[in-house]
Amino acid sequence: MANLLWLQGGACSGNTMSFLNAEEPSACDLVTDFGINVLWQPSLGLELGDQVKEIIEKCISGEIKLDIFVFEGTVINAPNGTGEWNRFCGRPMKDWVKELSAAADFVVAIGDCATYGGIPATAPNPTDSVGLQFLKRAKGGALGDGFTAKSGLPVINIPGCPAHPDWVTQILVAVATGRAGDLTLDEFHRPKTFFSSFTQTGCTRNMHFAYKVSTTAFGQRKGCLFYDLGCRGPMTHSPCNRILWNRHSSKTRAGMPCLGCTEPEFPFFDLAPGTVFKTQTVMGVPKDMPEGVDKKGYIKLTAAAKGAAPAWAEEDIFVV
Amino acid sequence: MDDDQMRATIAGMLACGLETEVWPRAGTSEEVNAIVARLQVEAGDNLERKLVIAGFTDHTIEADGIEQPCETCMYYKVHARFCDLPELMLPVEPEWSCRLWRI
Repeated sequence: MANLLWLQGGACSGNTMSFLNAEEPSACDLVTDFGINVLWQPSLGLELGDQVKEIIEKCISGEIKLDIFVFEGTVINAPNGTGEWNRFCGRPMKDWVKELSAAADFVVAIGDCATYGGIPATAPNPTDSVGLQFLKRAKGGALGDGFTAKSGLPVINIPGCPAHPDWVTQILVAVATGRAGDLTLDEFHRPKTFFSSFTQTGCTRNMHFAYKVSTTAFGQRKGCLFYDLGCRGPMTHSPCNRILWNRHSSKTRAGMPCLGCTEPEFPFFDLAPGTVFKTQTVMGVPKDMPEGVDKKGYIKLTAAAKGAAPAWAEEDIFVV
Repeated sequence: MDDDQMRATIAGMLACGLETEVWPRAGTSEEVNAIVARLQVEAGDNLERKLVIAGFTDHTIEADGIEQPCETCMYYKVHARFCDLPELMLPVEPEWSCRLWRI
């Protein structure tokens, strides 16, 4: 049995809602099939007030073995580094986070806020929010660059806004069943099994990307969303088009550009007006290229691809 | 008027010296948005205003060391020889150019 405690900081509860929709495995499977004992979770726990505090204190003292500490939301430091804007069970949440992280075998950050700061940490970051071990791309965060949990692993980051439920449950199962050694993390502490490929991998619009045919309005089924509508699929690491949402779809499949929410910089361009859902360009060339592609190569490729584009690529082939 | 007739009409207007706003090119996304906003407000369905505001030419313009023909623009539909930018929606020729070009 593995004891799991889940707390929320500067969060919208979106990752809890996502987690509760998990299917492979489901949240119930974690308990019934994989031996995870959920000590407390904000939306599932029956305990209130002092009862929750008692659980937390026993985890810190070691009276209850804390195998997995899950954190959702940012660590709030305002005002003036005190963390008083996010109090929980009688003291700043940031203090609980530090002590629980030191007591846990594994620390798992769920969602973009807990991993990299996400939307709350967007400039001017009024809550002085940070992720557990990063602030955007900068290492450090609430626990510091050198932090490792008792297992020897740093914080395991499962980003996303929200994170896909099955990414969460599958990582929790791996950790709870003694297979954490199989996890390889990338430079941003994301499990490589999920975050080595791109959102574009498996996108149904890939042929439109290849032939450089653009979507010009939301909801269109033809065309690629990268060229005009700001889709970040070609440079975002996630399996959104391999492990589908609700088992059958994804943003790009539904005609909605990828926002890049599994990358540390999310939300991009500090959400300045005109930057969301619009490809940012310099002299007509995208500012952000598909990963590994340079400007010269991109221009050459585009000219060649458009020249070779078949007629069907310009039509809506999904209409019968 | 079908697309061929419309294309010929546009070619005639440009050949007759219609002065369009070829420069400055839309260098940044903000400049693109500003030109698109002008097309929405000032041009509507008026063909001449569309051509003027978008800076149409009947030859390719080079800017910042990059040739900007319709042929390589993201809004260009190769087989229809058509500009698919919602604010323009015009038949064009591949060697033409406008300042909203993007790749």
